[in-house]
Amino acid sequence: MESAAVPTPHDSSSAGARAPEVGGKGLKAGALGYLSNLVIGVASTAPAYSIAVTLGFVTAIAGMGFHAPAVMIVSFIPMLLIAAAYNYMNKADPDCGTSFTWVTRALGPRLGWLTGWAIVAADVVVMATLAYIAGVYTFLLFGMHAAAANILDVSIIAAIWIVLMTWICYVGIELSARIQYGLLGIEILTLGLFAIVALWKVYVSGSALSGSSHIALSWFSPFDLPGGTTALVSGVLLGVFIYWGWDSGVCVNEESEDSANGPGKAAVMSTILLVLIYVVVAASSQAYAGPEFLTNNAEDVLGALGGSVLGSPLDKLLIITVLTSASASTQTTILPTARTTLSMARFGSIPKAFGRIHPRYLTPDVSTLAMGAISLVWTLIIINLSTSVLSDAITGLGFQIAFYYGLTGFACVVYYRREIFKSVRNFIMVGVAPLLGGLALAFVFVKALITYSDPAETETGSSFLGVGVPVAIGVGLLLVGVVVMVFANVAYPKFFARKTEVVNPGILEGTVKGEASVMAD
Amino acid sequence: MGEIIVGYDGSEVGRAALREASALAKELGDRVVIVFGYAPGGYGGGEIPTHREAVEELGEKITAEATELAESLGVEHTVELLPLRPDHALLKAAEERDARMIVVGSYGEPPLRGVILGSTPHKLLHTADRPVLVVPASN
Repeated sequence: MESAAVPTPHDSSSAGARAPEVGGKGLKAGALGYLSNLVIGVASTAPAYSIAVTLGFVTAIAGMGFHAPAVMIVSFIPMLLIAAAYNYMNKADPDCGTSFTWVTRALGPRLGWLTGWAIVAADVVVMATLAYIAGVYTFLLFGMHAAAANILDVSIIAAIWIVLMTWICYVGIELSARIQYGLLGIEILTLGLFAIVALWKVYVSGSALSGSSHIALSWFSPFDLPGGTTALVSGVLLGVFIYWGWDSGVCVNEESEDSANGPGKAAVMSTILLVLIYVVVAASSQAYAGPEFLTNNAEDVLGALGGSVLGSPLDKLLIITVLTSASASTQTTILPTARTTLSMARFGSIPKAFGRIHPRYLTPDVSTLAMGAISLVWTLIIINLSTSVLSDAITGLGFQIAFYYGLTGFACVVYYRREIFKSVRNFIMVGVAPLLGGLALAFVFVKALITYSDPAETETGSSFLGVGVPVAIGVGLLLVGVVVMVFANVAYPKFFARKTEVVNPGILEGTVKGEASVMAD
Repeated sequence: MGEIIVGYDGSEVGRAALREASALAKELGDRVVIVFGYAPGGYGGGEIPTHREAVEELGEKITAEATELAESLGVEHTVELLPLRPDHALLKAAEERDARMIVVGSYGEPPLRGVILGSTPHKLLHTADRPVLVVPASN
């Protein structure tokens, strides 16, 4: 590899000398259409898994009452606004799909570096819950309820799970787009079936659980929560987590037809599809069993409800759905993280080894293995501490996601600042929308920070370093990032001396197409 | 002048294939076409173009080595880097040039492992429309 290569935008002339007869770069382009992007966006979010591990913690929030469906809707709003930011950043720089490069360009290398750190930290933290769920559901699939409740047994499966998934990413095996369509189709159909049967039992056959009640319009209203704004914001912090992942659909950019437009639109569509899934499943679960039941089974709501709603053997379908959803999510966790560190390495902001490509598998092998190893250690520690630490980790994750999604929103406004006042459309789409998204996430971040600093508000109930566990995990890891960055600053002065950039005005006028930025020396 | 397509990935296996192909080409008065197929795997999001660039760079490095080796073997050669999976890249190059045959090296892996990892010789043997020569890595 060459010495620290620094990408520059709008410059395609300086591509390194190519070997003779290089095939057209776009041969694979066009392989992924709009539908694929949509599928990837939704599948990466892993709706079945996300709702299984989150819904119960939302209902568990003090003062939430019956308003979990409202949280699903409200959380969707900042996500939609940030989707607009992704859409426009992708137009300008379809080269690098994640926030690291965009924030580096718009807001400078320090915030960019921290964004990269936040992405990696969030992905490592989520691995614990993913692997835990994979462990529990594997046992549930075979009816081994005792093993599913045994931490040691679950730890073993969780470890095997992470090793297997890391290996799959390492050797670069992937499911074909067709299989992904199939899996996602089954996932949505199963969740739909679950919702319909649950509602049938509530309204028609009357065979729902004792906490059952009819759906009320107030469930969807964010304005009259018993716990007020505090409860709503705590809910949104979790809600941010369930929508996390759709950015993957944006990130495939170049491989898609019309790479500057398609993926962004797909990201917006997939967000809308997700909100529908979540609201329907949340409302029907709550109607069927009541919030108290969901709270008591917060670690895996769908596992707890499946047997009762669908009965045997259809409940296995639900378990398989959560498992495939978790596997998709594990892969879309390892893969983008490895690519983020690959990108950071190629920007010369972390050790060059992370930029290594395996000669046979063509995957970023060092990045992938490092991600797997760190996740494994983290997971085994967290699972064995207690399941309440696990739930606080999900809450903590919200901080990291809010941090880097929020920064992406601000990055969009700053990057496009000279274009904002050129038309009403620009003003709304690259000004107001991403700014509001960023501000909303910043508000959630600060408000939740105040709430969860008090250990009494957390699942664990105890404090770590004087603050609640979610804050220790969520904000603590970001602060560790700041410390590490100080060292990185010394080690990689060239990266940290980067100047910020603004967008090429032609991007919005349509005269210039966003180009994949090119590595130059 | 005929052409012999050879898959080269920078490994010992690739070198074995290139040596064998070169020896044959010289005898037949053919030219070798060194093919490196790069298709960074995977959707599932995140920094794909950066990944692609990294792989392209690797491809350039690898084909530079191949050129050097071919020169030292004294065989006439060209290089093709194709953004396709290795088997597709080889088949495409062979078809376009109506090549005499395709030469690839084999890792000598058990067949099942080859199926899981996507063994290129395995795929070629079943899908190629022209002769395929599989060269085991010398050890």
